[in-house]
Amino acid sequence: MSLGVKTTTTPQVPRALRWRERVWAIGGIAIVLALVIVFSASLGSAHIPFLTTWKILISELPFVDFDGTWSRNTEVIVLDTRLPRIILAGLVGAALAVSGTTYQGLFRNPLADPYLIGVSQGALLGAIIGFSMPFDPQGLAGDSVIPLFAFLGAIGAVIIVYAVARTGRTLPVTSLILAGVALGAFLAAINSYLILKSKNEELHSIFNWMLGYFGMSDWNEVLVVLPFVIAGTLVIWLYARPLNVMQLDEDQAQQLGINVERVKLILLIMATLVTAAAVAFVGTIGFVGIIVPHAVRLVWGPDHRFLLPLATLVGAIFLILADTLARTVTGPEQIPVGVITAFAGTPFFLYLLRKRRRGTFF
Amino acid sequence: MPERIISLAPSNTEILFALGLGDKIVGVTTYCDYPPQAVEKPKIGGFSTPDIEKILALEPDLVVAANFHKDTVIPELERRGLNVVLVDPGNIDEAIDSILLVGEKTGTSKEAQRLTSEIRARIKAVTDKVASLSENQKPRTLYITWHDPLWTLGDGTITNELIELAGGVNIFANVSGNSQTDLETVLARNPQVILASTGHGTAEDSPFAWASTEERLSQTDARTNGRVYEVDANLVTRPGPRIAEGLEAIAKLIHPDIFGD
Repeated sequence: MSLGVKTTTTPQVPRALRWRERVWAIGGIAIVLALVIVFSASLGSAHIPFLTTWKILISELPFVDFDGTWSRNTEVIVLDTRLPRIILAGLVGAALAVSGTTYQGLFRNPLADPYLIGVSQGALLGAIIGFSMPFDPQGLAGDSVIPLFAFLGAIGAVIIVYAVARTGRTLPVTSLILAGVALGAFLAAINSYLILKSKNEELHSIFNWMLGYFGMSDWNEVLVVLPFVIAGTLVIWLYARPLNVMQLDEDQAQQLGINVERVKLILLIMATLVTAAAVAFVGTIGFVGIIVPHAVRLVWGPDHRFLLPLATLVGAIFLILADTLARTVTGPEQIPVGVITAFAGTPFFLYLLRKRRRGTFF
Repeated sequence: MPERIISLAPSNTEILFALGLGDKIVGVTTYCDYPPQAVEKPKIGGFSTPDIEKILALEPDLVVAANFHKDTVIPELERRGLNVVLVDPGNIDEAIDSILLVGEKTGTSKEAQRLTSEIRARIKAVTDKVASLSENQKPRTLYITWHDPLWTLGDGTITNELIELAGGVNIFANVSGNSQTDLETVLARNPQVILASTGHGTAEDSPFAWASTEERLSQTDARTNGRVYEVDANLVTRPGPRIAEGLEAIAKLIHPDIFGD
């Protein structure tokens, strides 16, 4: 066999699933998500009987009233401690998975993840600045300045990458990736230095944040993240068809009547907003944004009309389960959720990869 | 007897000053903040990162080190011929003994004897008053080192011992050492008294601010009865000569009826 030249093989398209099958899949996964939420709300470091948890949850539905035999604190545990954290984990998982899918599609690159164009290092820089600032937690609207700083850092990094990569009226994808990687490395250098110079007690917070930290999540955090994720995700879903066509080739897509530059810009903005909102409160959780889209693609195929909603739902389920493990395995002590996503997710993904070895990603 | 002493830990610095050796101290860590004169002393670096060169340059004839320095710093210093004494108290009794040890090494045994018997007497005065309390008269107490994530002090810490001696029950006595916990466990154990430490991290008062305002704590007994207090972390975590003072402070907060003015 001659070295150097590789024969090109036609990518084998995964078995085309019929419409109905895939619509069923979306409905089924949505039901699984609901079950996972109830299941996770029943688990925690404080021992509350399953039945009590379910009664508390059901009591929240309209027109249902149980005689509350549980203490007010038990209710606070389920409704104001576990539930907001579960919903936040779901939102973040959904956000990372949908933006990961978008970037992979947009860049036509299987290695793309939500952090590819500088978001994570930008957010981390913002967070480090926030952690090192003496602040009064009561003085601001939220409990701390870190989410705001992280959000601005993430958005700022992408704006710089965008400005650098833009040539005239077009945005070459390769330039975007290269500029993103370069700025990421530059920011990483600054971050490493700042981390090294930070005080001991800040170090712990920063490290927690880097690995993904849900900590004391409450409904306020959910309410801030929710509109970004819902709005961004819905807009991305609307662009599923153009994204499908762009998989062929940008020129061909243009000829087929798609305003490629416009689609790129809108998807880039939406995916960035969604990711920045996700990382702002909980830090840079790895793995979800790259693996969930691939896993969904392996099972249900590459059509973005189904891939995007399915990845959104599976991302939510995956991160809720990972965070449930993170808060219960060694509870009340917490394991950073990023440790769990990689540790528990990799074997499953490798299994999928092996099972569908002949299917291709793109 | 040593004339040029370096302290490698805040508690050691407090012991040396309490024994009247303030004038002989030539170097302390950047964390040594008590008594106020300690702040004026030359710095040899942080607690975990002392600068060996600086220590040598100060030409000490005694270095009072802590357990943390056992494997890293102490061999370095001894190799260079310095006289090092390791002060490593794991509990209140050992903290008192370590005062005697420092006294012995610095020729101030008499002061050390007087100081330790005073500390013991003050501790006994507190424990005598709470000795007759039944278990359910001892308030369930939560000590917060930091609030986000929640850190508390459990078994094997001076603070845990102080809470017990003061007639309280540490709700995290079942965890060991400096330990992370979560809000739902706190809620399930429903503390009657919350002690929030000040003096850690960049925003000193934030654990107290959090404990007094966090919505989800509002139904705990401590909050409904307005029993959230600030305590000086240095007073109740340092195994130094102010340990009795720390005990009295905690006792006053946990049992104002017994120890109130």
